[in-house]
Amino acid sequence: MSGTRARARAVPAVFAASALVLAGCGAEGASDSGEWSPQQPIEITAPADTGGGWDTLARTSSRIMEDAGLVDQSVQVVNKPGGGGAIGWSYIANNAGDPHKLFVTSPPILFVPLAGESDYDHSDFTPISRLATEYMTYLVPADSPMDTFDDLVGELEDDPGAVSVAGGSAPGSMDHVALAGAADAAGVDAGELNYVAFDGGGEATTALLGGHVDAAVSGAGESMELIEAGEVKALAVSAPERVGVLPDVPTLTELGVDFTFDIWRGVMGPPDMSQEEISYYESVFAEMMEQDSWKEESSKLGWTDTYQDSAEFEAFLDEKHTEFVDILDEVGLQ
Amino acid sequence: MDTLTQLVSGFSVALSPENLLFVFVGVLAGTIIGILPGLGPMTAIALMIPIAFGMDPTTAIIMLAGVYYGAVFGGSTSSILLNAPGIAGTVATSFDGYPMARDGRAGKALAVAAIASFVGGTVGVVGLMLIAPTLSKVAVSFGPAEYFGLMVLGLTAVVSLAGKNVTKGLISAVVGVIIALVGIDSATGTLRFTFDRPELYEGIDFLIVALGVFALAEVFVLLSRRGHGGAQGGVTSLRLSKREVRAMTPSALRGSVLGFFTGVLPGAGATVASFLSYSTEKRIASDGDTFGSGNIKGVAAPEAGNNGAAIGSFVPLLTLGVPGSGTTAILLGALLVLGVQPGPMMLEQHPGVFWGVVASMYIGSIVLLILNLPLIPLFAKVLNTPKAVLLPLVVVFCVMGVYGLSFSVFDLWLLIGFGVLGFLMRANSFPAAPLILGLILGGLMERNMRQALQISGGDWSVFVTQPIPAVLLGLAAASLLPTVIGLIRRRRERADREREVPAA
Repeated sequence: MSGTRARARAVPAVFAASALVLAGCGAEGASDSGEWSPQQPIEITAPADTGGGWDTLARTSSRIMEDAGLVDQSVQVVNKPGGGGAIGWSYIANNAGDPHKLFVTSPPILFVPLAGESDYDHSDFTPISRLATEYMTYLVPADSPMDTFDDLVGELEDDPGAVSVAGGSAPGSMDHVALAGAADAAGVDAGELNYVAFDGGGEATTALLGGHVDAAVSGAGESMELIEAGEVKALAVSAPERVGVLPDVPTLTELGVDFTFDIWRGVMGPPDMSQEEISYYESVFAEMMEQDSWKEESSKLGWTDTYQDSAEFEAFLDEKHTEFVDILDEVGLQ
Repeated sequence: MDTLTQLVSGFSVALSPENLLFVFVGVLAGTIIGILPGLGPMTAIALMIPIAFGMDPTTAIIMLAGVYYGAVFGGSTSSILLNAPGIAGTVATSFDGYPMARDGRAGKALAVAAIASFVGGTVGVVGLMLIAPTLSKVAVSFGPAEYFGLMVLGLTAVVSLAGKNVTKGLISAVVGVIIALVGIDSATGTLRFTFDRPELYEGIDFLIVALGVFALAEVFVLLSRRGHGGAQGGVTSLRLSKREVRAMTPSALRGSVLGFFTGVLPGAGATVASFLSYSTEKRIASDGDTFGSGNIKGVAAPEAGNNGAAIGSFVPLLTLGVPGSGTTAILLGALLVLGVQPGPMMLEQHPGVFWGVVASMYIGSIVLLILNLPLIPLFAKVLNTPKAVLLPLVVVFCVMGVYGLSFSVFDLWLLIGFGVLGFLMRANSFPAAPLILGLILGGLMERNMRQALQISGGDWSVFVTQPIPAVLLGLAAASLLPTVIGLIRRRRERADREREVPAA
């Protein structure tokens, strides 16, 4: 119901934007260059509070873009927290066709709508670039009898409910799906998992360190230090190939479990952007990732650069969406 | 001795002119941002992060830590003067701080807050220095079942915060717990009481409720009295008598220690610490019944508690790399970008950073005190402002604070709603403090209870077979005993009297 209402509000904007797109196409036909450049300051929305992952990405990008002189306009970061992203997304959706309003994004743009908590989903927006990716690790306490991912699978096969696994997000969201997908691929009944939702990765890891849960899923970046110090054992990482910061941790695929999970980060724009506008931003972000300052900061945060342009990013999102629908179906949350 | 040499080298780092300057900058910025409602330590740190980029990592951490405890301190000023808590951690300070200000003792209340904060900060730093590595084990020893016990113990404070009418206090607390239920249920992902409003999905921010039922409600009350009562102009000196110093010292010390240990627990934090310190002190103090009407112990305990906790929360951050709160999570992010990975190896890999930060905290506490004592008369002048000017200012303050949280007009309607609720509660003598307590602790209690049961596979015995939860729940039951016995005795007396009447 509320979805219809929100969309109805956006209708005039959509019309205006379609007109703009048509005008854009016309222009393309007329001139060979088809160049577009921003006419006013660029606004990057972080659909969350200051200080979170989205905010960090937005502020890092805007600073590097300005410092390196990649854009002629200034780049401002706007925080629109609320609804796990839903408030920020509806703000962008209501600015359809305004090529000066971008937002930073990551897997919740798929998960939150799947949970029925947003009127808009990834298909309502214009993918611009995927920038970087972090991977999930599957952890157990240092003194756990489990030493390998196979051990964990063994325990789960015996009695999936008896192994408590902590994660930092709500059921049906990121950490849970990273666990359920891996379990499912390893032949465990994902619907029977005992997933314990904590408020953020920090709390989940603390519960693991104290031995209150048997295992945990956590981003590779945030658990790197604890793994190196020997406080926890990393059984596997959800990357397609071993990650630089954790060279000794095997990937799931290496272990014969056909599953990968990306905590990707990227940039999207409002609905109805023209091809010229998309191309402009694609090249700006591609150039941004060439900067030394970006390389330095992203590696400190444990991110791996995995650039995709608009078309690849869109295909990637659709593919992930289908995959997650299947996993959630398996878990019984869809 | 090793600690001592390390600390000396830490001081040599912290006392460099550059670092001294940035301790000062951080503490000053933090204090100012903390005074403004809605802008808590989280925002303060986020705002300062761009400045920190490009700095030497140690200098940057020293500055950001200064911002953090500066903001925790600054929040108390608006709690005391305007009944408008600047941050969640200073709500408990307003219980006695604001009544003191209304009695014309604003200067004293602010001085007590400044000194107690200093004590809390100092005790915290000593704790951090001496036992941080050992404490990291304490920090992780608390799992969901243990937190559940702690929250239940905290909630029993309702009885002491309720004042004369325990029933009304309990009703208030239950309303608080109900407010805490709004939003996405973290255990199942279900939406609860959100009425299809995405603005409610993440729950109702604590500060909206606190500013509504305290500050805005106070404005309504003063308006309804048409010029009678309210803050009295006379701002007395901030000098404390010997008797007052003697009264507040033990409270501040107890609050510091309790606050520090609560802060060490990643799931608790400064807000819970200040409430626990306040309610514990109210129970221990011989004049506990005057708490809530301007007892300086009621200002000293929570202020020492929240500052002790602010320092305590650095223990899990620095020794485990685990952020205990939203604020330390932001700090962690900033550290990572600066190339310092806090965690078990930090003491070995970056000893200079660790000890530099510890030393700078000593210096920061002193700077905080020096900075704030002279400013107190200036701050307290706020109360000399005519009511016709002050009340609209408080309203602007509240609106700004709430709007600054989310930039959402919806939240402003919520603020007005809670203001009206607070006014109606006051008019019918329902205490507001238990509502706030229920809101903070109730949400945490529920979440931890369900996590514990999820882990145990639905077996309730985890709460009594584990030592820590069992002890905490036992303490909770014991602390309720006097009240329950009192109630039973009164009821029996009434029954006796009723029996005597027909006999006579």
